Amino acid sequence: MSFLQPILLIGLPLALLPVIIHLINQRRHRTVKWAAMMFLLDAKKLSKGIDRLRQFLILAMRVLAVAALLFAASRPLSGGFMAGAGGKADTILILLDRSASMEEQNLETGESKRSAALSKISELLEKTSSRSEVILIDSATLMPTAVSDLKSLLALPQAAPTATGTNIPALFQAGIDFLATNKSGRTDLWLASDMRSADWKSASGNWQSIRADLSANETVRLFLLSYEQRSEKNLAISVDKVNRKRSPTGYEVVMDLAIKRTGSSDAPSGDASEPQTIPVEITINGTRTVESITVTGEEFLRLGYTVKLGAGDERGWGRIDIPADNNLSDNTAYFVYDEPPVRKTIIVSDDTTTANAIETAAATTVDPSINYDASTLSPGDSAQIPWDETALLIWQSAIPAEDSAEATLLRQHLENGRTLILLPPPDSDEGNHAFFGIQWDDWFDRSSSPASASWWRTESGLLENTQNGTPLPVDKLRFFRHRKFAGDVQPLLKLNDETVIFAKALTETKGSLYLWGTLPRTDYSTLATEGVSFFVMTHRALAEGANAVSKARMLQADSSAPVSQMKKIDSGESEAALIMPGLIPGAFESGGESDTQRLVALNRPISEDSSEILDESAVETLLEGVEFRRINDEVGSGSSLAAEVWKAFLVAMALALLVEAVLSLPPRPEATSLTKPI
Amino acid sequence: MLGNIAGRHRSPVKGSSLEFAQYRKYVPGDDTRRLDWRTWGRTDRYYLKEFEADTNLRLCFIVDTSGSMNYGEKAKTRLDYARSLAGTLAYIAANQGDAVGLMNTSTNTAMKEIPAKRGPVHLKVLLDQIGIMTADGESELVSTLHTAAEKIPQRALIVIVSDLLFDPEPLREAFQHLRFRKHDVTLFHLLDREEIEFEFDGPTRFLDLEGGASILADPTLIQRRYREAVTSYLGKIDEIVNQSALDYHRVMLDEPYDQVLARFLLGRNPKTARSAR
Repeated sequence: MSFLQPILLIGLPLALLPVIIHLINQRRHRTVKWAAMMFLLDAKKLSKGIDRLRQFLILAMRVLAVAALLFAASRPLSGGFMAGAGGKADTILILLDRSASMEEQNLETGESKRSAALSKISELLEKTSSRSEVILIDSATLMPTAVSDLKSLLALPQAAPTATGTNIPALFQAGIDFLATNKSGRTDLWLASDMRSADWKSASGNWQSIRADLSANETVRLFLLSYEQRSEKNLAISVDKVNRKRSPTGYEVVMDLAIKRTGSSDAPSGDASEPQTIPVEITINGTRTVESITVTGEEFLRLGYTVKLGAGDERGWGRIDIPADNNLSDNTAYFVYDEPPVRKTIIVSDDTTTANAIETAAATTVDPSINYDASTLSPGDSAQIPWDETALLIWQSAIPAEDSAEATLLRQHLENGRTLILLPPPDSDEGNHAFFGIQWDDWFDRSSSPASASWWRTESGLLENTQNGTPLPVDKLRFFRHRKFAGDVQPLLKLNDETVIFAKALTETKGSLYLWGTLPRTDYSTLATEGVSFFVMTHRALAEGANAVSKARMLQADSSAPVSQMKKIDSGESEAALIMPGLIPGAFESGGESDTQRLVALNRPISEDSSEILDESAVETLLEGVEFRRINDEVGSGSSLAAEVWKAFLVAMALALLVEAVLSLPPRPEATSLTKPI
Repeated sequence: MLGNIAGRHRSPVKGSSLEFAQYRKYVPGDDTRRLDWRTWGRTDRYYLKEFEADTNLRLCFIVDTSGSMNYGEKAKTRLDYARSLAGTLAYIAANQGDAVGLMNTSTNTAMKEIPAKRGPVHLKVLLDQIGIMTADGESELVSTLHTAAEKIPQRALIVIVSDLLFDPEPLREAFQHLRFRKHDVTLFHLLDREEIEFEFDGPTRFLDLEGGASILADPTLIQRRYREAVTSYLGKIDEIVNQSALDYHRVMLDEPYDQVLARFLLGRNPKTARSAR
């Protein structure tokens, strides 16, 4: 509990005044010479039980009354978030989840989770910590911002809504870094989050150091302001894999369209399993059309949803809107389209057998509207790699040293969103340098007893099931020789003995880094002969990298989204968009001639549509050893984090005095006189 | 009263006082000098005219001299009140020619036990003894009553003056012992109104006048229990004195002792007993 006038709590010992007066009275007794001791002894013996309790209660009520008066005068605040008197922090550090899911709002009040959190925190701080330094770190930028005026907290661009996702471990780390670099003194760390599992990233390796840092810092108190209630009725729309294709009449845009329905128990149709018809508004280059889509179940997914374009619409942008609901931030999906780029694959290898197999697979046309190209360079000619055009780079050579120019170029390739696959050089122990912490290990020969896959990742990655849910024929693959690798990876395929053959490195880059532990050669595996899986893996890796090469790119809203020099074309620019354009959804275009002009569509991460909540026990596990207080709030609850509760203390005082008065009532007078002479 | 000399007290036997008692038929052997000739003249029958025989009184005071008798303001203590009662009664009795004696409950040998005798010299000795009596220690009243029952040879009026502030149960046997010896027993039970009402304001330390441990108490908290104890005690006393057929007088120390004596003396006279009670 915190107090607006904590100085008055210094007088709390005055609550013992009744006890002291009682003791003084005991000492100030008069002395009487007494004859009838026998009656006194009897009375004392009889009054030991209830009368003593009564006396104790009277004293306790008096103490309570004085204490309640002092507490009331100190103007207590409900909530108990501050640690009593003297609990004011020097610094208040607000870690704000600005993800798209925080825009879920109460339809009656129009207040979102983000604005509710900010309002309540600022209200609390105005009451309790008006002299503290307030710092805001938002999840979108992870940059600390000093808040000079708490009233304007909600109006800060750093607190505005975004279409970004949130990385809670990174947000914590930003807070910890701030504490480490600033003399923040006693700090209250407030984290406002909607507790989405996707944001909390339980599997992140950063949690251990976060726990260690927070538990070691005794000057920090952590408060977790949780808004975990899910909206009662919400629809979220998203688009993916947008391709412009030629059609007999001109052009068409083909995309995967998904509408997710959550909490539909009170939907107009009444049941989540019942169909719900939604008017979907499609805007292409400013021209609107409306189409009704019927959603059945929790998710509507239309693969290859096609929108016809005019003959002159070679390139452009579009948006798809669904009617407003609890969360406005997931009602619009943006897309851009342009002439698809050549999907170029470069193989750096001296192993012609491997290179030919990959080259053949990568150059094979999958989509007739797209050009495919693959070529091989020897490791010595790596300087000739056309980095700007290459979507997929397959590196079957020694891993370059960390500080070498080659390593820098490879890292840049990944940073630009392209794909890199590392293959082990055959029959060689070279390349034992680490790259993003990944290192080749020993070769392993299984030619005498070929191994097969015991597990592979089917929900995502290169080996995920096809769009209709059919698994790839990975089980038919046999592995004769493979090279192990060490490092922080996400396995994609494992053998019986848990050996990982294919994996994705856990890097923070935009592009993906894959590791293949075997080669598409008959003496190493049946990847080439059982070619389906190999072909799909190659083209999925290529498609990932191709998005970064395209002149029309679909990106997730992020502070590093390359739109700062671009113009927003879908609507007018808001103030927040002017400051940090990469954080809000929309369609952007760069200046210049049309052949060099680039288009970018920013959307929220698809993980923001997941309504899975991290339960309390999981949070406690993640923050094990860290002392924190969790406050579960709801949007539109009307409750305050800190309400003045002095009236309750006055009532308590009145009750205490009333009880004291009742207990102190003198006994009824005796009906007959004992002193009548006989 | 059964005395061995003539006095002012009614004797159980008929005697030669001036107060007519009854007529009785003459039987052979009666003293013919006591024949009532006037009655013979009227009825022609022989009757004897009998008169009440007056006898003297043996009055023995037993005064409780335990420490609790020191209760009260200076010169107005319970012992002072007992002195006044006993002294006055002794004076009245001696002037009537009655024998007066004194016993106290003190273990102090300096305190003399005075057997019942008559005469002004003896009265002076007795009054002197009453005057120098001091109260101290615990009460030995019960044992003193038993001793008195054994020591006093003839029937006597035994006047007990005490506060009886001890467990009253043993008194039952002591009183019955006295009654068994045909003694006429009067009990002046001296109590102070403060001891009964127990009305004090604040915390008070009570020092035991009989030398026991002191008690610190808040009278407001224990008053009800105290009064319950007093009520129980007085009820028990009433029951014991009724059972023992004593002449019991509960006396408050703020009552003038002359009123108490008047009530007692009038109660002793059969003609005035009803109005006195």
